[in-house]
Parts: sequence; structure tokens; C-alpha cells
Amino acid sequence: MIVAALLMAMQVAIQDPRLDRLDPDTRAQVIAVVDSARQAGLPAEPLIQRALEGTTKAAPGARIVTAVRRLAADLGAARTALGNSASAPELEAGVAALRAGAPSQVLATLRSVRRSSLTMALSVLADLVASGVSADSAAAAVLALAPTARDADLVEFRRAVERDIALGAPPSAATSVRVNSGAFVNSMSSDPGPPTRPRRP
Amino acid sequence: MRTLALIVAACGADAGANALVAQVAANIEAGVSEVRYDGFLASAAASVSPTIRWEHSRGRGFVSARGTYLRFESGRHSLDGSINGSWFAPLAPRLRAELGVSAGGSQYANIASFSHSEAEARLHLMSAERGAWAGASAGRSYFSGLPRNVVVLATGFWLLRRDKTMFVSLDRSSIGDTAFSDLRASARWRGSRVVLEGIVGARVWSRGGGRGVYGEGSAALTLGPDVALVLSAGRYPTDVVSGSIAGRYVTAAVRVGSIPIRRPASRVLPVNEPVYTGSDGAVSATETRLAIQIRADDVLLTIYAAGAASIEITGDFTDWQPVPLNRGDGETWAGVFRMTAGLHRLNVRRDGGPWIVPTGTMRRPDDYDGEVGVFVLP
Repeated sequence: MIVAALLMAMQVAIQDPRLDRLDPDTRAQVIAVVDSARQAGLPAEPLIQRALEGTTKAAPGARIVTAVRRLAADLGAARTALGNSASAPELEAGVAALRAGAPSQVLATLRSVRRSSLTMALSVLADLVASGVSADSAAAAVLALAPTARDADLVEFRRAVERDIALGAPPSAATSVRVNSGAFVNSMSSDPGPPTRPRRP
Repeated sequence: MRTLALIVAACGADAGANALVAQVAANIEAGVSEVRYDGFLASAAASVSPTIRWEHSRGRGFVSARGTYLRFESGRHSLDGSINGSWFAPLAPRLRAELGVSAGGSQYANIASFSHSEAEARLHLMSAERGAWAGASAGRSYFSGLPRNVVVLATGFWLLRRDKTMFVSLDRSSIGDTAFSDLRASARWRGSRVVLEGIVGARVWSRGGGRGVYGEGSAALTLGPDVALVLSAGRYPTDVVSGSIAGRYVTAAVRVGSIPIRRPASRVLPVNEPVYTGSDGAVSATETRLAIQIRADDVLLTIYAAGAASIEITGDFTDWQPVPLNRGDGETWAGVFRMTAGLHRLNVRRDGGPWIVPTGTMRRPDDYDGEVGVFVLP
């Protein structure tokens, strides 16, 4: 039965017409990576998408294969940190957080303190680091909020920090101020409008 | 433009202007503006700005205070105020020392406030029609009570020609971890009934302070003995010390009072709405901004791209196939897509150019020597 499932999974990858956009040699190598990841219980779709992204950006075949392999390895690392129950979106967000510099231990701790999906929390963690907040400060902030904050609260928190940084606040100080103020919770609750639509001042 | 005022005060060469004002004078400016801060839609606003100024009778120093109340069409408002002063001491026939202090604060809605205080020292070398200066400022800027050290090194030179003043300056500012340099050139012309001022500048070698070019201009038309119509417009960079965010504006105001030297209008903090990575003060004539609207069964992606003839989008939700967006009203382009919850990656292309990352997404390396925009769909 397991063999049958594996064969079926391989068939899906091989027959995925989207991969026809790759040259034959690159396609064969990508399919091998995808199959290997699938057998390891990792999601295949992000790997296929990464390969397709490479074709649209006219990347050389070897570069596409390298990118797909690297993503497969990072998905594996994210699953190690987040556990086998992690969903595909959580794993992708975990990869972003790890690549941003978050320690794997932070991902494991997040898993233990937050019952709902970790996708947004991990994304916010990655975004904060990308905004210039030190990995330690970002991790501390997200860990402090994760047990009780809703996804919408986390989004608003990230926005508030980005806003303060854009206004010249030091990234880590902005993060600390926002965590301690908690003002983002109320503002999000009172205005659940479109998440990223520009508005008037 | 404050530098122009300092030059005038330092050399005492604008006697025609100063002779017309009392030692203590005040004015109030009331006007309407169209403002567009980076990362925000344009908004109308109304403002009231009182100013009071004291000048030493022989031009040895001055103290000036200014406040601004500004109300946006959304009903939100901002309040800011500042005070600064300088004292000039002759050291030699062509050499003057200047010591100055400045302080201020600003607040918008319920956002954390900014405040600052600085001390400044300058050395002016001058003749009747030209001069140069070098100086340094040191102080602190506070964001929600958290201090950052401020250090500014500046140098420049100026020329006076009866009714004209011109200067060029180069500043290097360091505020906490943020650092940047501004190269500015400014000119001021005073006619019988009109004063024209303009400034162009470039922010370079920036770490966290934005970069790009900017420029502002104003015209003050005398309507009566103490009444002037002031028209001004331009684009300015982020002021990290006082916490104002980059943007552009057009203002028409009436000034009632007796001070002929005008400072640029204060800008407020439009900080009750999102500001995205990539809009930290950078000046871009071809900004491409993404807005995401989650609907019942799909997601509406709207690109704001002024001046574009065509916009394409590609991402994991199109299997990375380029998809042209439909032109909406004015500068908007839109498309409807089905997406799952979670992380999504995309790029956009305007007029068949390179794939770029729109503001409104988080910018990430893309594994292919480029960048990709990332956003999360809850």
C-alpha cells in the first residue's frame, strides 16, 4: 500500500504539465528532488513553484535545481523545528523565518506556546528581521505575543513596527515599544478592513 | 530654508527685510493642502500655523517658535511644535561664531510621539556678499521616550546679490543607527511684492534614512501691509529627527503678520495607516504599489502605478505565468485571483520592463539573484 502511494505520488510529479516549461535535464532533476521531498513527507507544491519561478525569471537550469534543493532542505529543517504536524503554509513560513536568521529553537517554542496556526506568527517574525529588527528582539516580541494574539493582531503589530521604523525609530526599540504598548490589538479590532490597502492619513 | 534664514541673520545683509519688522513679531498662517505621504493615498488637509519670533536689534541673535495644527479630510489631526534660537558672536572682522539650540515635538493620533533637542555650533567666514560655514550639532531625539543620539556635521557656502540669496550645503546626519547625507542647493529672490524660494536636494549614502532627490518651492505674494498669499509645493525627504515621513504637497495659505522670512510648512505624521518596506523616504517617480483585498471567493489585487502603460503580474497563484492586469480608473490596475491561505510570492512588471517588487509586500531575495515580494493571506 505504501509502495502504491509512493508510485501514485511520483506519477503526479512526473505528469505535472507545469514542469514541461523546464528543459528536459532540469525537469528530471527537479522531479527527483520533488519526489524525494514527497517521500520525506514534505510538501511538493512549494518546490514546483520555486522551479516555475526560475523559468519565468530565465534562470539557468542548474540554478533552478540548486534553488529547489535548497528549499527542500530548508523545508526539512523547518519541519524538524515545528514538528511533523506542521502544515505546508507553516513550513513555508518557517523557512522564511529560518532564512531571516531566527533560531530553530524559537520555532519550536512558538509551536509549544501557540495553539492556532503559526503561519502568520512566523511570517511576522521573518518580516521584522527583514525590517532591521535583530533576530533576538523579533523572536522575543513574537514569542511574547504568540500565546494570545490573533493573526490580525500580529499583522497590525508588524505594521505598527514598520510604521515606526519608517518614521525613524530604531527597529528593536520600535518592536519593544509596540510589544509593551499592545495598542495594535485595539486598533485592529476596531477596524478589520482590507489588510494592505493604502488609505488616507 | 532655515539655513537661508540663518544666513540672513548671520550676516545681517538683509537689512531691508529686518528693518521692516519689530524686535518681537508674530504671524499666523492658515491654509489648505493636498498632501501625499509615501505609502498613503493623497489627502486634503487644513492647517493653522502660528509663529512668533524675537530678533536682536543689531542682528546678534534670534529666537523663533512655531506650532502647527493640521487636520486631514479623514478627521484625524496632528500637532507639532518647535523652538529654535541662535546667538552670533564676532570673533574677527570676517569671522563669526554661532551657538544655537532647538527643540520640538510632534504627535499624530494615538501613535507614539517624537521629540528632539539639539545644540549647534557654527563658524561663519564671510564677506559682504559671500561666505562659508562649518558646524556641528549634537543632541537627542526621542521616540516614545526612548532616546537616540543625534550628531550632524554640516558645511556650506552662500552668495548674496542684493535681492538674491543662494547657498549650497552638505550635511552628514547620524541618529542612532540611522545615518544619511543631504546635499542641498537653495535660492531666494525678493522682489517688491513677492518673495520666491526654492530648494533642491539629494539624500545619499543613507542607512535607514531613505534616499533620492527632492525639491520644494514657494512664492509669497504681498496682498497688504501685513497680509500675504503663500503658495508652496514640493517633495521632501523623511526627517528622522522630528519624525516626519517623506511625501509631497501643494499648499495655498494666507499669512497674517509681519515676518517676511518664511520657513517651510511643518509636515505631520500620517501614521495611522500602513507604511510598507520600501517607502522609507525613497523618492521614486515610478512607484508601483500593491493593495490586497480579500473577498468571499477570491482575492482582488490592485496595483497603483502612475504613468504605466501596462502592468503584468506573476506569482505562485499564476504558476509564475505573466498575467496582464486590467486597467481601472486612473492609475490603477487590477486582477482577481484564487489563492489559498499562507505565504505567497509575486513580482510585477510595468511596460514590459524587469520584474520588480511592488511596495505593499515584503521584499526578499528570490534565489535567482533578484528579489520577490512576499505576503501572507490569512
